[in-house]
Amino acid sequence: MNPLGLVIRNLRVRSVRSALTLIGILVATASMVIFLSFGEGMRRAVGDQIAQSGAPVQLIPAGQEGIGSGMPEVPAEVLPKLDGLADELGIRRVIPTAILFRAGADPLNSFIFQGIPADIRPDEIYLGLEIAAGEMKLDPGEAVVGYRVAQRHELEIGSPLRLSQEQQVRVAGILAESNGLGDSLIFVPIDIVQSALGTQNATLVMLQLEPGADPEVVAERIEAEIPEVQAQTSGDLLFYAGNILQIVNIVQFGISFVALVVGGLLVANTVLMNVYERFAEFGIMRAMGAKQGFVFRLVLLESLMLAVVGGVFGSLGAYLASIGMNAYTIAQIGIPLSAVTPRLVLFAFLVSLALGVLSGLLPARTASKIPVVEALGRV
Amino acid sequence: MLRAEHLAKRFLQGESWIEALQDFSYDFPPGITAIVGASGSGKTTLLNLLAGFLLPSEGKIYLDQTCLSDLDEDQRAEQRLAHMGFIFQSYFLIPTLTALENVAFPLLLAKLSESERSRRAAEALAQVGLAQRASHLPSRLSGGEQQRVAVARALVNGPEIIFADEPTGNLDSASGELVIKFLFESRPAGSSLIMVTHDLSLAARAERTLTLRDGKLVADSATSQVQ
Repeated sequence: MNPLGLVIRNLRVRSVRSALTLIGILVATASMVIFLSFGEGMRRAVGDQIAQSGAPVQLIPAGQEGIGSGMPEVPAEVLPKLDGLADELGIRRVIPTAILFRAGADPLNSFIFQGIPADIRPDEIYLGLEIAAGEMKLDPGEAVVGYRVAQRHELEIGSPLRLSQEQQVRVAGILAESNGLGDSLIFVPIDIVQSALGTQNATLVMLQLEPGADPEVVAERIEAEIPEVQAQTSGDLLFYAGNILQIVNIVQFGISFVALVVGGLLVANTVLMNVYERFAEFGIMRAMGAKQGFVFRLVLLESLMLAVVGGVFGSLGAYLASIGMNAYTIAQIGIPLSAVTPRLVLFAFLVSLALGVLSGLLPARTASKIPVVEALGRV
Repeated sequence: MLRAEHLAKRFLQGESWIEALQDFSYDFPPGITAIVGASGSGKTTLLNLLAGFLLPSEGKIYLDQTCLSDLDEDQRAEQRLAHMGFIFQSYFLIPTLTALENVAFPLLLAKLSESERSRRAAEALAQVGLAQRASHLPSRLSGGEQQRVAVARALVNGPEIIFADEPTGNLDSASGELVIKFLFESRPAGSSLIMVTHDLSLAARAERTLTLRDGKLVADSATSQVQ
């Protein structure tokens, strides 16, 4: 028997109370890890999506935060201006793209059509896309559909897809699963989307650059030369996404912090109750010669053990929940939204440790200061 | 040797001070000393002071050359661990530990190795006739057996001074007799056993008896001195 054995024995003797406290810590830690795993997952997903983009510079209408879901607002007049700057800035290709979002009553019945020039293949703007059936190229009146869209709507080569009352295309190619945004898109020639929307504008313009061209310099020059647009590089997108995720993380941590405080109070309450119930026990230890530090460490160890074991199992539970959630989000949108990363697990472990120490300090101090004569009822 | 010099202890009760012990001086020699007296006579207060559980309002307690009343909490705990053993009326065994682990507990505090702790605790349990009950929790032992475990625990680190507060107070006469037999026979040679009791027949078996009344030492059988 050693101090650790004493702690384990004591927790086992009060098994129901210990188990309930453990469950409390487990739920608190798991909820914190799950909340924060969304931030990690989104950070990873955004990074992956940006890395998959074949266009290092993207142009959106000036004054807009991102890609709007409404009418395309990049005027058609911008394209000739860009062509004029192409040689000077090292722009290899200008790719206007128009997006049509056709919402259904059920989100699963919604379609996102991305119109791209007919001479561009989808795998040129989303790196890593591969064809599973049919052809990758877009001929007039044809569409290449993402893996998830094809699965969900049971599309086959030749299946019709309607963009509007007048505009209809047939499936000419089905993409293999890429676990990216491309899985949820339908690529069609841009003129069909523009015709369906009744405009010649583009939602955004993607720029592919010659080797050696600096995206930051290109973006800066374009904004100076063409005031109608705002240029974003991959770095800008990562920066904006990072800022948004940072705010999301703070909000998520704030919510999970409440769960943690509740968990900490549970541990403190359990350990404090144990201390009061074992008043005489600590008294006899002190009578036999135990120093205050011995009793303090014994009680603190009990609190730490509850918090750390609860934290470890909570992280494990969050990991399993994350696998389940990712299976769902991959099935729905093709992107894993949750990621239980090593740094998140380490963070959860450190938080559990801190929780154990903080919630054990008061009970440990109380136990170590018990006067022997009072504890043994010998006043 | 344990020596008390002009010990006094006062407690504040309500708005008035209670003199629980007054001007108590005594050198406790090796052997068995019984302390008797009516309830409220100051016996328990005296034991608490001698063991270092309480600090005196006046006077000093010396353990050999060390003045216990000048030490802090942890230093007094060290002295208890190194030199003293305790037996209480209510046994006070640790309920989650087996008989053997209870006996070994002071040795854990003394930082002995696990094997040494087990060996010495098993010997001490055998001395009080409970070798076969080593793995039992206190809840599965009778009162007499629990008190014998407490005796083994008090003696396991070979103390120079053993305090026993009403050691048979909760036991029937047969169990009490067995506890006293083991306590008297197993205590280390040259040790002092200081025993508080109401039982005059038990006190009569001690080598000397101190009688307290109203917080004062009124009789010492060794000197036949009555104050």
